[in-house]
Amino acid sequence: MDNKDKLAEIKEKKEEWEEKALLPAAKRFGIEKRPTEFHTPLDIPDFDFLRDVGFPGQYPLTAASYPVNLVPRLEKGAKPGGLRRAGTYSGYGTPEDTRDYYRLMAKLMYTGGPNLALDLPTQCGYDSDNEIVEGEIGKVGVAVDTLRDFEVIFEAFTGNLDLDKIATNMTINAPANILVAMYVALAEKRGISLAKLKGTPQNDILKEFISRGTYIFPPRPSMRMFRDSLVFFTESLPAMNINGFGGAHIREGGATREQELAFTMANGIAYLQEGINAGLNIDAFAPRFSFVGFGGSMEFFKEIAFHRASRRMWAKILKERFGAKKSESMRIRSQYTAYSGISTTTKQRALNNLTRSVIGAVAGVLSGGPPLAFPPYDEPLGLGWSLEARQLAEDATRILMYETGMCDVLDPLAGSYYVESLTNEIEEAAWKELEKVEGIGGSVAAIENGYMQRSIAKSAAERQSRIEKREDIIVGVNCFTEEYELDVTTSKMVEHPYSEEKRYDAEKKQKANLAEVKRTRNNREVTRLLGELERAAKKDDENLMPLFVNLAREYATLQEQCDVLRGVFGEWQMDSFV
Amino acid sequence: MEKERKIKVLIAKPGLDGHDRGAKVLSFGLRDQGMEVIYTGRRQSAEQIVNSALQEDVDVVGLSILSGAHLTFFPKVVNLLRENDAGDMLVIGGGIIPDEHIPILKEKGVTEIFGPGTLIKDIGDFIRKNVRKIA
Repeated sequence: MDNKDKLAEIKEKKEEWEEKALLPAAKRFGIEKRPTEFHTPLDIPDFDFLRDVGFPGQYPLTAASYPVNLVPRLEKGAKPGGLRRAGTYSGYGTPEDTRDYYRLMAKLMYTGGPNLALDLPTQCGYDSDNEIVEGEIGKVGVAVDTLRDFEVIFEAFTGNLDLDKIATNMTINAPANILVAMYVALAEKRGISLAKLKGTPQNDILKEFISRGTYIFPPRPSMRMFRDSLVFFTESLPAMNINGFGGAHIREGGATREQELAFTMANGIAYLQEGINAGLNIDAFAPRFSFVGFGGSMEFFKEIAFHRASRRMWAKILKERFGAKKSESMRIRSQYTAYSGISTTTKQRALNNLTRSVIGAVAGVLSGGPPLAFPPYDEPLGLGWSLEARQLAEDATRILMYETGMCDVLDPLAGSYYVESLTNEIEEAAWKELEKVEGIGGSVAAIENGYMQRSIAKSAAERQSRIEKREDIIVGVNCFTEEYELDVTTSKMVEHPYSEEKRYDAEKKQKANLAEVKRTRNNREVTRLLGELERAAKKDDENLMPLFVNLAREYATLQEQCDVLRGVFGEWQMDSFV
Repeated sequence: MEKERKIKVLIAKPGLDGHDRGAKVLSFGLRDQGMEVIYTGRRQSAEQIVNSALQEDVDVVGLSILSGAHLTFFPKVVNLLRENDAGDMLVIGGGIIPDEHIPILKEKGVTEIFGPGTLIKDIGDFIRKNVRKIA
C-alpha cells in the first residue's frame, strides 16, 4: 500500500472514530464545541524529514541550532562548583554600587561577565546631571555617563575576570555604539587586544520603535548607526556579537506569536541588508548576529513549535534570500529557546510564577535548547529579584537539567503529527505577515507608518478583552479567586544586596561623579572632537565608531555625543498609535 | 434634556519608561466603556502631562510607570494639578509599584494604584464611583 492509500485509509478511520467515539464522548462531557484534539499523519501528509527537520545543527535547523544541547555536563562524582548561571541582568544605582554588587555576586559564584542593566537616562542618551531625568538616575540599571563609569564598574572584573576572559552583555540600543566605544577605550587602557573582546550589545533598535521604547533618533539614521557597528565589529571586534536581537520584547508588547515571528524576521532582514549594502559578504558577519530571546507564553506546544518554526524560517532567509553558505550564518544563536515569558507572571499569588516558569523551561528543553526557568517568581512584585526567588528559579533549572534526563535528547517531538503541523502553521502565518511588512517596504517603513506599533497594540487589547471575558484564563487573576483560596508567600530572609539607602543616594552621588569628570578632563579636546563628530555624522558613508572611541578616551559624556547626533539626525517623535 | 457628558480620561506615560502596553490597553478598554480617552504617548514630563490635562479639561489622569520613578513623578503631577486649581481631577496610577510604596503615593494625593492583573472593568467602576461631579 503506498502512502496515498494509507492516508485515505486513515481518513476513513478517522471519520469513523469521530462519529462513533469522539462525538458521543464529547457530548457526554459537555465539550462538543471544543473537543480534545488528536492528530494523525493527515496533518502532515507531505512530511519529509530531511527537508522539514534535518539533523540538529544542520539546515533547515528545525531540530536545534547546535548538534548538542548546551547543558553543562556534570562529571560523575564531581562536585558541581561554579555552575551558577552567570550574567544575570543586573545594574544598580551608581557605577560604584554596581561594582560592589558584582564583587558580591562573584563571591556567590556568579562568576561570568556582567549582563549590564543600564538606567533609562543612559538608554535614552541623557546624562545624570540633566534635570529632565530626575528621579530616573540609577533606576532599573546603572547610570553611565562617561568612560569613568565603566572604569569603576569593571574594577569588579580584573585578574581571571579581566576583559579578555569574560563576555560582557549590555542592554543598550539607541546609543549602543557609544557604550561599546567606551568598552573599547577601557580595553585599550588595560592593554587588552580588541580581538579578544567578547560580549553582546543588544543593539536592536528596530524593536525599540515597535515595542520597548528606548529610541533616540528616527529609524533611518538609527540604521546607519547599526551599520557602523556591524562594519566596525566585523573589522575590529571579531569576537564580539554584533547584536542580541529578537522578538521577546515585541511579544511582551502585545504581539501574537505570528506577529512576533514575522516582525523579528523583518527586522533581521533589515539588519542583514545593512551589511550587504556596506559591501560585506553575508558569511563574514551573519555568524556574529545573536538572538537575545524569542517568544514567551504559557501555550506549551505552540511555544515549542514556534521555536522550531523560527529556526527554520531564519535558516531559509539566510540561505535562500541572502545566499549564505556557512551553517553558522543560518543558526539562531541564543542562550535559550522557549520560556514562559515575563507578562505571563502575576502579582496575584506570585509563587505560582515558579510553576509557570518551570512549564516554560520544559518547553525550552523540548524545543531544542537548555531549560531556563525564568523569570524568578517575584518579577511582578517590584524592582529587582530577591535572592530567594533567584535560587528557586536556578534550582528548578538544575532539577530539569540533572534529575529528569530530559536534556539527554534533542528535539524529541520531531515527527510528532501535532508538533510538526503546528510548526508548519506558525511558519506559514509568519511568512504571510512578513509579506505584508515587505509590501509596506520592510521594517523601517512599517515602523515609520506605525503599522507594527498599531498591530501589536491591537493584539494586546484583544488579549485583554479575552482575559476580561474569561475566554483566556489566568489562575488567581480572573479565575479561582474566591475568598477560600490561599495566598501562599515565602518569607524574605536574605537582604537584597542593593539597599534602599543606596537607591536614595544614587542620584546625588552620580551627579557629583559627573561634575568631577567634567572639571578634570580636557574640555577643549572634547569640544574639538564633538565638532568632528558633527561633521562626520553629516556624511552618511562615514563610520562614526572610531570617533566615538576617541571621544570616550577624552571622557566626553554620552549626552554630549547624543546631542550632536540629535542635531544632525533629528529625534524620533511619533509614538501614540491609540 | 441635556445629554450627559462622557467622562474624560488622560492616560499618560511620565518619564523615560517605554513599557506602554498597559497604557494603551487601558486606553482602548476605557474607551470601550464609553469614556473619552486621550493617550499622551511616551516620555512626558509632569509639566506636559498637567498641561494636557488642563487643556483637555479631563476628569481623570491615569499615570503608568514600570521603571521605579513613580515616587518622583506621581506626586509631582498631583502637586502641579493642585497649583493650577485642578486638584479635583482624579489621579490614579499603575505599573510595577512595590506594595510598600502604595501608602506613600496615596498620602501624596494619588487616589488609587492599580497593579498588574487588574481588570479594566474594575478600573472603570472605580473611576465612575470616584470621579468629580460632571457639570
